[in-house]
Amino acid sequence: MSNDLVIKDLCANIGDNEILKGVNLTIRGGTIHAIMGPNGSGKSTLAHVIAGHPDYEVTAGEIWYGGQNILELEADERSKLGLFLAFQYPVAVPGVTVANFLRAAINAHRAEEGKDPKATAIPMAEFRKMLREGMKTLEMDEGFARRYLNEGFSGGEKKRLEILQMTMLKPGMVVMDETDSGLDIDALRIVAEGVNRLAGPELGALVITHYQRLLNYIKPNFVSVMMDGRIVRDGGPELALELEEKGYDWLREELAGAA
Amino acid sequence: MKQSITLKDLTADLIVEQAHAEQEPGWLAERRHEAWTFFAQSGPPEWRRTDLSGLAPDALTLSGSVGTELIWDASLADQGIVFKPLRQALNSHEELIKAHMDTAVAPLDHKFSALRAALWTDGVLLYVPKNVAVDTPIHVRYTLPADHHMIMPRTLVILEANASATVIEEFVSADRSEQALAAPVTELITGPNSTLRFISVQQWGDGVYHIGGQKAVLGNNASLEWTSLALGAKVQHIEAETTLKGNGSRVNWLGATFANGSQVLVTAPWLRHIGHNAESFMQFKTVVNDTAYSVFDGMIKIEHESTATSTRLEEHALHLKPGARNDSIPGLKIDTNSVLKGGHASTSGDVDDEQLFYMQTRGLSKNEARRMIVMGFFSPALDTIPVEALRHQLEAVIEAKI
Ligand SMILES: Nc1ncnc2c1ncn2[C@@H]1O[C@H](COP(=O)(O)OP(=O)(O)O)[C@@H](O)[C@H]1O
Ligand SMILES: [Mg+2]
Repeated sequence: MSNDLVIKDLCANIGDNEILKGVNLTIRGGTIHAIMGPNGSGKSTLAHVIAGHPDYEVTAGEIWYGGQNILELEADERSKLGLFLAFQYPVAVPGVTVANFLRAAINAHRAEEGKDPKATAIPMAEFRKMLREGMKTLEMDEGFARRYLNEGFSGGEKKRLEILQMTMLKPGMVVMDETDSGLDIDALRIVAEGVNRLAGPELGALVITHYQRLLNYIKPNFVSVMMDGRIVRDGGPELALELEEKGYDWLREELAGAA
Repeated sequence: MKQSITLKDLTADLIVEQAHAEQEPGWLAERRHEAWTFFAQSGPPEWRRTDLSGLAPDALTLSGSVGTELIWDASLADQGIVFKPLRQALNSHEELIKAHMDTAVAPLDHKFSALRAALWTDGVLLYVPKNVAVDTPIHVRYTLPADHHMIMPRTLVILEANASATVIEEFVSADRSEQALAAPVTELITGPNSTLRFISVQQWGDGVYHIGGQKAVLGNNASLEWTSLALGAKVQHIEAETTLKGNGSRVNWLGATFANGSQVLVTAPWLRHIGHNAESFMQFKTVVNDTAYSVFDGMIKIEHESTATSTRLEEHALHLKPGARNDSIPGLKIDTNSVLKGGHASTSGDVDDEQLFYMQTRGLSKNEARRMIVMGFFSPALDTIPVEALRHQLEAVIEAKI
């Protein structure tokens, strides 16, 4: 299926360090797939490689989405195919307001080759309405739109903005990198509700988390475990509960025993 | 001056003769004479970073009063506001001009300051009387008529006590294929409790040399919001200063310089603290592209009379190409041991890759992301421009330089 995200034998380096050592993973369109794993196992690296970060060198493997191997595409082209990365650490861009940025992003998605960008741009009134509604459901203050992107934002504000962007860009596949980290329980609820509103047959999600906590709010269909640059176990929601209860060490030992 | 005279044909006698022909007051003719004598006797200024090798002023023709536009709501005159060409204002406000002109920017500082004082023709006086507050911007626009011309416009702004105004000073011309020189002087004199918003926009065309002096002198509890934009010209050398003379005076000074192509844009903004409890903030931002060169030669001088000074200086530079250069030379000179707060921050480098990546993951192309980052870099300065049409025009100029 072309709305599946299919990762095959993916190996990636940063500098001289091999971080991803043959990742095999399929996220089916319309499902929520959680990846759990200890710190440093390569989850954020995987998210960045999927999104097209230029600092990572892919040495082997493929990533398929939307009917093509996306590894040769720039990050913006992947976005336009319908991929979206919610960052673990969203980046501040001083001087660029949330509203202007979102409008530029939406217009970039609406642009069509050979057409005047003005002709495809979202009408201002429609944009404002969409922004207002998006902010309202995420319980964001109206003044938020005029603030500079992520500049001086609290952890919760940053994560809400990630979800707002996701809501407005309507991706087909999202990768959420520790969206729960640094959130108090209220913010976690708002963010999770935001995701659940979008969930459905049109949205696939790869939800990266260190803790089971998020999965009480966003119910995964599948759970995979990553360790040392590989997917070491696949299962259903019960796997997350087992990890919550027992930690990662038993799995590490089991794997060592099997080797 | 006569329209057609070139610099090499000018003499002190001719200058005085011309001043009389224009029916200028005797003191002005004397000042011109003195300045010319200084000019003729002094050598070129020793500006290490400002390349004036392409400037041959002898061949330049002095332009008469052409191309000074005064853009304002003329009904403001009913409140006693005076906004008129400086020479014309000499007829009605001679004493006021005599008392203030040359008090901020010293005429006999160097060769070019003397040249400006000797030969100015264009200019404006803005006078805002006591207790008069104007919201609508008062705008003067100077233009350069042709290649091989030089103009020496003077802006003299005087705010009386409790007055408030927003003033735009703009320098604009077509591109010049041959050399042309603009040597303007801007003097801002503000009275007690007055508020001045001053926006200076240098957007000359190619080929223009700009050698300017700008200085604000603040009265007690006066407040100045100054935005300095430098976008155009072949070579710019601006010496600017805010003197916080009054107790409790404040300045918030934002600079935005964008040099591309082979432009050389040098700005030397100084903050000089004299009064007690005065506060200053200066933030200068520079973008350099292609093989352009820019210099921020800033200085904070805290004089011995001052007490409880608060001051902060920030300079930030973005390099868009490896061949582009920026020198930042912040200085601090403290002659008192009574400073309340001092701060300094400085950054310099390429556009941040993580910002680019973040924006690209939302669908923006790398170029579009760069464009937004650069525009965002300048937005604190651009946001102070109260005339929307001018702001949009400047945004377009900046975009074209990225
Ligand atoms: N920019 C980088 N340079 C060098 N090593 C890195 C970089 N980013 C991540 N790493 C290393 O890659 C490994 C995986 O990191 P990461 O993908 O962030 O793990 P996780 O998100 O699972 O905590 C870690 O050992 C980390 O130190
Ligand atoms: Mg991580």
